Amino acid sequence: MRADTPRAGAAGSWIAELSGVTHRYGGVHALSDVTLNVPAGCMAGLIGPDGVGKSTLLALIAGVRRLQSGHIQVLGQDIAKSAARRDNAPRVAYMPQGLGRNLSPTLSVRENLDFFGRLFGQKAQERRARIEMLLQATGLAPFPDRPAGKLSGGMKQKLSLCSALIHDPDLLILDEPTTGVDPLSRRQFWELIDTLRERMPNMSVIVATAYMEEAERFDWLAAMNDGKVIASGSPEALRSQTGAETLEQAFVSLLPEEDRGEDQGPVVLPPRPADGDGPPAIEALNLTKKFGDFTAVDDVSFTIPEGEIFGFLGSNGCGKSTTMKMMTGLLDPTEGETRLFGETLRASDMKSRLRIGYMSQNFSLYTELTVRQNLELHAELYEIAPDQRAPRVAEVLAEFELDEIAASMPESLPLGIRQRLQLAVATIHEPRILILDEPTSGVDPVARDAFWRTLIKLSRDRGVTIFISTHFMNEAERCDRISLMHAGRVLEVGAPAEIVERRGAATLEEAFIDCLQAEQPEDEASAPVDLTDYGADRSGQGALARSFTRLWAYSWRETLEFLRDPIRLFFALVGPLILMLTMGYGISFDVDELSFATFDQDRTPESRLLAEQFTSIKQFTEKPEIMAPADLDRRMGTGEVAIVLDIPDGFGRKLRQGQEPEVLLWVDGAMPFRAQTARSYALGLLNQFSDEIRRETGVQGSSVNFETRYLFNQAFKSANAMVPSMMMLILMLIPAIMSAISVVREKETGTIANFQSTPVTRVEFLLGKQLPYVIIAWTSFWMLGAMGRWVFGVPFTGSLPVLAGISLLYVCATTGFGQLVSSFTRTQVSAVFATAVLAIIPTVNFSGLIVPVSSLQPVGRMVGLSFPGAWYQPASVGTFVKGFGGAELMINALVIAGFALLYLVLSVLAMRKQEA
Amino acid sequence: MMQSLFNTLRLTVKELRAIRGDKVMLVLILYVFTVATWMVSDAGSTEIRGLSVAVVDEDHSLLSFRLTEAIRGPLFSDPHVLSPKAAAEAQTNGEYVLVVSIPPKFEQDLRSGKDASLMVLIDATAVAQAGNGAAYMQQLLGDEVTKYFQPNDSGAALVDVVMRNRFNPNLTSKWFTSVMQLMNSVTILTLILAGSSLIREREHGTIEHVLVMPVRPHEIVFSKILASGIVILASSVASLLLVVQWAMGVPVAGSLLLYVCGAAIYVISVGSLGLLLASFTQNMGQFGLLVIPVIIVMFLLSGGITPMESMPAWLRLVMKVVSPSPHYVEFAQSVLYRGSGLSLVAGNMGAMAAMGAVFLAVVIARFRKVLAN
Repeated sequence: MRADTPRAGAAGSWIAELSGVTHRYGGVHALSDVTLNVPAGCMAGLIGPDGVGKSTLLALIAGVRRLQSGHIQVLGQDIAKSAARRDNAPRVAYMPQGLGRNLSPTLSVRENLDFFGRLFGQKAQERRARIEMLLQATGLAPFPDRPAGKLSGGMKQKLSLCSALIHDPDLLILDEPTTGVDPLSRRQFWELIDTLRERMPNMSVIVATAYMEEAERFDWLAAMNDGKVIASGSPEALRSQTGAETLEQAFVSLLPEEDRGEDQGPVVLPPRPADGDGPPAIEALNLTKKFGDFTAVDDVSFTIPEGEIFGFLGSNGCGKSTTMKMMTGLLDPTEGETRLFGETLRASDMKSRLRIGYMSQNFSLYTELTVRQNLELHAELYEIAPDQRAPRVAEVLAEFELDEIAASMPESLPLGIRQRLQLAVATIHEPRILILDEPTSGVDPVARDAFWRTLIKLSRDRGVTIFISTHFMNEAERCDRISLMHAGRVLEVGAPAEIVERRGAATLEEAFIDCLQAEQPEDEASAPVDLTDYGADRSGQGALARSFTRLWAYSWRETLEFLRDPIRLFFALVGPLILMLTMGYGISFDVDELSFATFDQDRTPESRLLAEQFTSIKQFTEKPEIMAPADLDRRMGTGEVAIVLDIPDGFGRKLRQGQEPEVLLWVDGAMPFRAQTARSYALGLLNQFSDEIRRETGVQGSSVNFETRYLFNQAFKSANAMVPSMMMLILMLIPAIMSAISVVREKETGTIANFQSTPVTRVEFLLGKQLPYVIIAWTSFWMLGAMGRWVFGVPFTGSLPVLAGISLLYVCATTGFGQLVSSFTRTQVSAVFATAVLAIIPTVNFSGLIVPVSSLQPVGRMVGLSFPGAWYQPASVGTFVKGFGGAELMINALVIAGFALLYLVLSVLAMRKQEA
Repeated sequence: MMQSLFNTLRLTVKELRAIRGDKVMLVLILYVFTVATWMVSDAGSTEIRGLSVAVVDEDHSLLSFRLTEAIRGPLFSDPHVLSPKAAAEAQTNGEYVLVVSIPPKFEQDLRSGKDASLMVLIDATAVAQAGNGAAYMQQLLGDEVTKYFQPNDSGAALVDVVMRNRFNPNLTSKWFTSVMQLMNSVTILTLILAGSSLIREREHGTIEHVLVMPVRPHEIVFSKILASGIVILASSVASLLLVVQWAMGVPVAGSLLLYVCGAAIYVISVGSLGLLLASFTQNMGQFGLLVIPVIIVMFLLSGGITPMESMPAWLRLVMKVVSPSPHYVEFAQSVLYRGSGLSLVAGNMGAMAAMGAVFLAVVIARFRKVLAN
């Protein structure tokens, strides 16, 4: 296979060939008519600002986005064909944008890698060897058991890289792999790539990056702007072509005139006026924050005078964000305190919040509001006077150049513009202090410079104090003072130049790296290892075995994730039991304690005898007698009395005269079932009364006897019918809601990229994810059955294997239903919502829980029968109390199996291996 | 104070926009309040209506024919006459709730003054209907036999019983199920809508942003409840008027204004409960698994499906203390059917409001602690 890979150097050897590729999202052009050949066997880079189409281009090459128009050949195959994409999948590795976005945060380092190994059908032994090798090579070897979510950003990216390399790809696609990573980790990452490329010389790499200085090390570059490639060639070629010194300058001069913006020259920081007499804007005094045993911030102190730009540097997860949150009052420190302008900050203090503008690391504005609406909402909430709101919003829109996109939704905007919007929002109330948590992470250089000019203006012209964290060294150099943080402690504070001098380094970056290396334990650094080429020897493995391994990869991961969320596991297993307990006791159709009163207007021995009949049975609870018609109206109106025996005047006299007197029975019809039951009791009592009178008078009654036989439930106990029916309800709703988030969660967190970019098929993916839920739901079935048998004492008369088998099919169908909803929806919220709404109504009403399906009106019956519940209910009731075996339930089993299959097929059709 | 009110309203507008933006949710809300309400109300209920019956006639006499003829709607469906074997099989498969078996020589025996028995076989797994169904069947057949033998003698019954069903004269189930289904829809939608609005903010990180703004936790909480409350209340009232009253022809006896007030209290307390549940869960997966049992318990044990009286006393007490739904059912029955005034339902309204207040207090107390993590 690898022999036919085109090699670098040879003429016409391209790893990817694009011609006339155009891609649109809605009406917006992401790529317009791109024609580009990416050389093989080398490190190829895509550079350009945010939102120019780099990610789209990479996703198209990786095959995770559907090609709209044009041609793309990757590894010599036309990837418009699905067969070609299938062939390519095991040879391509794709690492999407975002820190560890394709990793599962609750799984450990090793488990994550195991998962990827399995996705490529690797056997245990091969997997172990490869993981060992990769962990050694990346320096992750000391932490195989740490959950991926607890790794620092740099380590996450290393782990992502390991996952990408696990199958020895011929083409490695990296989308901004170092965005948001500290300089030391970034340097280590590229060194690692270099080492790996030395060992795997066949591998081609395509990287997108916004860091121009990183691009210097690439063999070949394509500069992109506005959906087009504006230049390509080696870095030297690009520089000499434009006569620029650095790539950054070269890039800017390659831009068309109108995109270049005014050349404002380098960003300069004018000197700060001397400190005033006022108290410092921010004082942190011995701040410490602990989360459980983990100390996130350890005894941090600093003072920031008013108007200063204070930079905050450090690797990911070192406590920067936590410290900043304590500055804003979002978090209460465990020890120490924050003072703003000399006043101690309290979480509940609304006044101080008006003085702070805060920008969190992730985009945290409302995506459902337009740019203008977001600004207006904040203007209102920050108590800007009503007459000044509109001018202020207009002013900010102009200041941050958001005028043109005021009506757009934030989600449709490139990251750089979104960050500008966040800053605009943070400054709308003209705060005295700005706290900005990595505001420029992922923003391209041009936009970053513009951003900084605004910051400097705010600081110097308006005296705003700015507390900013960043990964960019050139940004750190623009700060008045910076502090370096590592593992919760501040290592250095001072003016950038001062620190460089103190550390004896040439640049700030070196000083920083020097500082971090001094702190880092020896074993964390990567060790040189022998990268044996584990040639893909998969000939011995059948296609079926590989398919099963891939399916198992998802089952195993889903299971681990479920086990690591104990609350969910608890709800999934205990919820059904609690539901069964309350329903088993709570739903009963034995109508007791009906409130009853007499309204005796006759007051004769006969009327009293009749009234006594009614009060003699336990189903009626006697209430004080009714004395007047108004009393009757009032007491029935409040619902205090549900049934009233109204005996008119002259009852006794007429009865004695054989005149068939009338009695009135008032029944509260607000709840028909109760009314009917009350009525049937009352009729029985009146018959009894007639019999008694007849006996006294010696009249012969009718001689028909009624023999009533209660079949299947001689004792006529509600539980005997309700418990098996509740199993139907519970095993429908809980498994469905459990699996409803399975697929859509991957879509929301971005791990769906693994499904799109690896050889796993839709069926393997869906079945793999469904399997753990089926097992949990089936376990639930056994627990519920046992509870019904022994707690509620429901007899079990039928065939247990048959019920167990049908239940297994049933939970396959119900989890399948959840997964189907999950495949269609885009957010977990709507998946849960849709599953609940769609499943509850037919299951509760039309599946035989309360009303037998046979007694439903046609529409209800049809709706009921189009869900699996109505077919399962006869099976559970039948095997419990009717002595059913396989013969009676064959049809039901087949129909339920049909539902399971149907849901799977529909889910497969709803899933897409490629995004639009 | 004014500022606080304004903040709440502004955030409410924001929440409403978020709801408007979610098309899936809008479609589902529409579905629930129109199609689902109509379907459920129409399909059937616990009272006896169209009960499936089979007759095994081994007598083939005029009387047995008359008896078979007598079984008809609205209580029973038109009976199928089957052989004993077929009837037994069909009943086992759940096709008939009642099977009436008329033995050979039934009429002859009665004429000759012997005792004769009619057998009524009841599928007792249909607990909701079997008991009443059998009682009605006996009544019906007994009357029919009497009429057959003494066609002109009206003196068989000593007492003439006149049934008066108050508030729902024909015991039309639609009247009842439609309103109960509305309650069910309101419960499902409000719980999930309110709860997920909180979880979504946490998952998207926007809650952090809200917390640094000069807004207090209660303003955020109120705005979420208000927004989901307004949407659900408006659509449920629209559904009551358009679907229940107009399309299905269910008369509403009481004051609509009073009903809307009570429904508003219910929606607020259920919304608070939704937020409370959300504050105990970290993600949508947990929330979904927690909210489903809550919905089912609130609905099935509200007194809307089976009478509260038939629940064990302890469970009835628990439900009345922790769940607003039994109070809402009582309230809705009183106002919509009995036409009760405020004084009669004030207790229920108070109970719902008190529960809502407790839920709210807990949510607000937990808000910062839960969300800051």
